[in-house]
Amino acid sequence: MSTLGQLIISGVLVGGIYALMSIGLTLIFGVLRIVNFAHGEFLMIAMYGAWAITRLLGLNPYIAAIAIVPAMFLFGAIVYRLIISPALDKPHLVVVFATMALSIFIQNAALMIMTADLLDVPPIFGRSLTIGPIYIKVELLLGFIITIFCTVGLQWMIRTTYLGKAIRATVQDGEAAMLMGIPVPRIFLITFAVGSALVGLAACVMMPLFSVFPTVGLNFVLIAFVIVVLGGMGSIEGALLGGICVGVVQSLSSYYVAPAFGQLFFFVLFLLVMIFRPNGLLGQKGAATVGMNE
Amino acid sequence: MVVTDAYSPGEPTRFPILPERGRLSWFELVLLLICIGLAVANIPSSLRDVILLSFLFGGLALAWNIAGGYAGLISFGHAAFFGVGSYTSTILLVHYGITPWIGIWIGGAIAGLFGAVLALICARLRGPFFILSTLAFAEVVRIGALNWSSLTGGPEGLSIMPMPDPGSMVFASKATYAWLMLGYLVAVYAITKALESSRFGYYLFAIRDNEDAASAAGVNPLLGRTLAMALSAALTGVGGSLFAQYFLYLDPTYVISPELSFQFALLPAVGGLGTAIGPVLGSFLITPLSELLRSYFGNSAAGLHLVIYSLALVVVMLYFPSGLSGALSKLARWRPFS
Repeated sequence: MSTLGQLIISGVLVGGIYALMSIGLTLIFGVLRIVNFAHGEFLMIAMYGAWAITRLLGLNPYIAAIAIVPAMFLFGAIVYRLIISPALDKPHLVVVFATMALSIFIQNAALMIMTADLLDVPPIFGRSLTIGPIYIKVELLLGFIITIFCTVGLQWMIRTTYLGKAIRATVQDGEAAMLMGIPVPRIFLITFAVGSALVGLAACVMMPLFSVFPTVGLNFVLIAFVIVVLGGMGSIEGALLGGICVGVVQSLSSYYVAPAFGQLFFFVLFLLVMIFRPNGLLGQKGAATVGMNE
Repeated sequence: MVVTDAYSPGEPTRFPILPERGRLSWFELVLLLICIGLAVANIPSSLRDVILLSFLFGGLALAWNIAGGYAGLISFGHAAFFGVGSYTSTILLVHYGITPWIGIWIGGAIAGLFGAVLALICARLRGPFFILSTLAFAEVVRIGALNWSSLTGGPEGLSIMPMPDPGSMVFASKATYAWLMLGYLVAVYAITKALESSRFGYYLFAIRDNEDAASAAGVNPLLGRTLAMALSAALTGVGGSLFAQYFLYLDPTYVISPELSFQFALLPAVGGLGTAIGPVLGSFLITPLSELLRSYFGNSAAGLHLVIYSLALVVVMLYFPSGLSGALSKLARWRPFS
């Protein structure tokens, strides 16, 4: 019984971190209606950044976030200007191929510069928390708390601030928003950059828990897409819910089904969700078909 | 969807100069003659490699294009079919002594089956989710091949005896391989051309361009997509078998790699999606370039060719979305003196 409790608790916490990584993707999708295939590579770059700051400057990855998050915001803005914005008014395939190519580019540039070695940072907290029979990794708990803060903060931003209202107006009807004087291209730019910054934050939270290597993005991007589909496209609370589901399933299956299955987990989970639940947990219609037919 | 077909009405010439949908042109005939010339000419061995691979990848790019260009099924998992084809014929040869002259067809058939399965898995998916599913599918196949060691040799891979023997499709001279690869390219090209003017081809265009309208007009989209994917996968599988017969060694980290999948999609995208000549031009441009980079930099810069490819693809997609064949058809409409 305590094993089960342990598995569920750590699943929920890991799931929270997965959710943090997916919020950027769902935000960009919800507003721009495009999918950034290089999302996982953004995460990989930011993880390398966090690793470098930890190793070279001797700081811990959470403090590295102070530098990584604005850097990723800027990086997102540059990518938007150079690649996304010129592709927006072209056939949808152009964005697909362009971001796919960007992902291959970043992956192989990383391979050339950093080699294929797995890099990680030394543990930050010496011991785990114990609550009764259950152990909780402090890094996981901290990551989960950061995720909750981000979700709530982002929700508040979207509900109440002017920027948030402008974003919602753009989602509802881009043309009408433009006529009301909302600078839609600028909203797109900011959303893309904020999405990238969130990935930067996720990378800092993940660095103490996972190793980084040039193809790390592929595993995580598939998880992120599963979460986005499960939770419903563009929904931030949905991403949190989806993330927790994925985390719990992963934690239980790696214990009860087969540990060797771990390598296949991300891919099989993705395919299963795509076959059986392409419209998400709450059944948002057309979630998995959107993005090409417009 | 990028459609780059230059259909010019009011020109009754039966043999156009530049490629058109469903018709042969002078351009293609001249290109074929040049290819035959390259296959027979007495050229140094390293250059022969480049030519031979350009033929092979031209055929593979055409095979990808049947799904990706004509049916709109953008796949980043075709390396799975390539791997299934190459492993099938090699396993049949190494473990059971069945000649690849038969094995390549079995490999193609099994790859086609995998293609149909993938299409059915993705029946309800479009756009980004379809693409990611193909990627995940290929990874599952790759990890499967890596772990099923008794059949596939696992991470060590499989080798074919390097003993020249026409019975097991191993030849001493590279010229023979050049003919083999050219034969493959011409065969896939002929299938593509036949598809373009066939009823099935028009079904695919209809499904790609507007699925609802197509199914209202009585076309079964799921059947069309499944058959297109199966055909594309089967042809890719045959290409994989030929690849195995040439290199005589299969390494699961290469033959089922995401890099290879990306390459299959890149060549038609650069050449022009949904055209027959596009993937061939793409391969003739990119494959020599990649071999050149590989021989020049060797292993000191792993991944460099992909860095350059992907940059090229971004530029092509943003500024020339119809690719090389689009440039060609623009040239056809160019009237400098009128």
